[in-house]
Amino acid sequence: MFIDIHVHPAFFEPINTEEEQTEFRHNALDIHRNGTAPLEHIFNQMRCAGLDRLCLLPEDYTTTAGRAVVTNEEIRSLVDMAPDKFIGFASVDPLADDCCEKLEHAFADLRLKGLKLHPSRQWFYPSDERLEQIYQICEKYNKPILFHSGLSWEPDTLSKYAKPMEFEELAYRHPKLRICLAHFGWPWVQETAMLMVKFPNVYADTSFLYFDCAKEFYFRVLTQDLPVTWIDRSLRHQVMFGSNNPRFEQIRMAQAIQELDFRESTLELIKGENAIEFLGGLD
Amino acid sequence: MVIYKSFSLLTTQYNDLIRITDEIEKAVAESGIKNGIVTVITKHTTTGITVNESLECLESDIDTFLKRLVPEDYPYVHARMLRSYGSTAGNPTGHLKAHLTGNHCVFPIVNSEMVKGDAQDVYFCEFDGPAKRTISISILGE
Repeated sequence: MFIDIHVHPAFFEPINTEEEQTEFRHNALDIHRNGTAPLEHIFNQMRCAGLDRLCLLPEDYTTTAGRAVVTNEEIRSLVDMAPDKFIGFASVDPLADDCCEKLEHAFADLRLKGLKLHPSRQWFYPSDERLEQIYQICEKYNKPILFHSGLSWEPDTLSKYAKPMEFEELAYRHPKLRICLAHFGWPWVQETAMLMVKFPNVYADTSFLYFDCAKEFYFRVLTQDLPVTWIDRSLRHQVMFGSNNPRFEQIRMAQAIQELDFRESTLELIKGENAIEFLGGLD
Repeated sequence: MVIYKSFSLLTTQYNDLIRITDEIEKAVAESGIKNGIVTVITKHTTTGITVNESLECLESDIDTFLKRLVPEDYPYVHARMLRSYGSTAGNPTGHLKAHLTGNHCVFPIVNSEMVKGDAQDVYFCEFDGPAKRTISISILGE
């Protein structure tokens, strides 16, 4: 099983019926010239990458951008179109008044598998007490949270909210809450590794490609900035493959992760088994 | 008179040669133009248009030839974040292969038919697939 834990479906054709909506998404995400993708193309891309499942992540930026970029309902509709290929996450704006009701609805009624939050774009610190109720809802439903961490290319983002160290208090106060620091918290990958070795409920994904090509950057970050032994020996149960497609290159990243010097069993964990554990199962 | 048409296709492979002769001949037949030229142009910079003989062995040799000239594993400079896209450039081999094949081909039209040699077929060349691609056909004549 090969799972991409980090995919943004903002430009999937079935949820881009209005030109204005697509334009808003281009500007909100600062992703341009990529067109919209029919599902058939997504499936072709998955086949070329060797991927079995994609985790689809929405973005609710109600208080900072006026609306959600992709809604939870749109995620549900995409999952219903390909339930054997797509895993749907929810998003809420944690500073919006109705965030808890929205999250309950996303888990109880829309049956979404986890929550995506973006501290840099939604402008909150992970240890902010206003988030406490959201964390409790995730624990109640046994749902993980995938947090943006590290550099964000999106507009109106401040990296200070998403430095890995900002997640320590959350990991400490909620040891049963599974959290993922997306993008491995790049460039602070050693801080992320510190949290992971200390807290077994902290995961990280590999959705970083800010310099060079996939092979070069993965080699740099996952074998040099982080010695390959750190992941292969100590963090092997907490790293998940993610691409951040369409920002980054899913096919080349999926190939590059398999060309590093991990043990075969470690690679299988990174490719899918850790994601299944993080998600609390695929069903 | 100038007739412009286009058609799109979803490619399914990273690199692929797709025969599009029938689509071009159909466009010529439907244009009503009896004498002139037809130009076929890809709208993308990591794809090409080429003319060659439609044989499995040649398709394989062309693919191997291009891969030898433009290997995947090479320190290309076109491998960085592009501000205008907000995404990473990772397709230098596509651009370079497209540079080699060129982006178009031209055939004469005589008596409402595209004139080509018996061995000639038109190929759309995918060098960075899978992707949604569009091909322009301009038919000029009378």
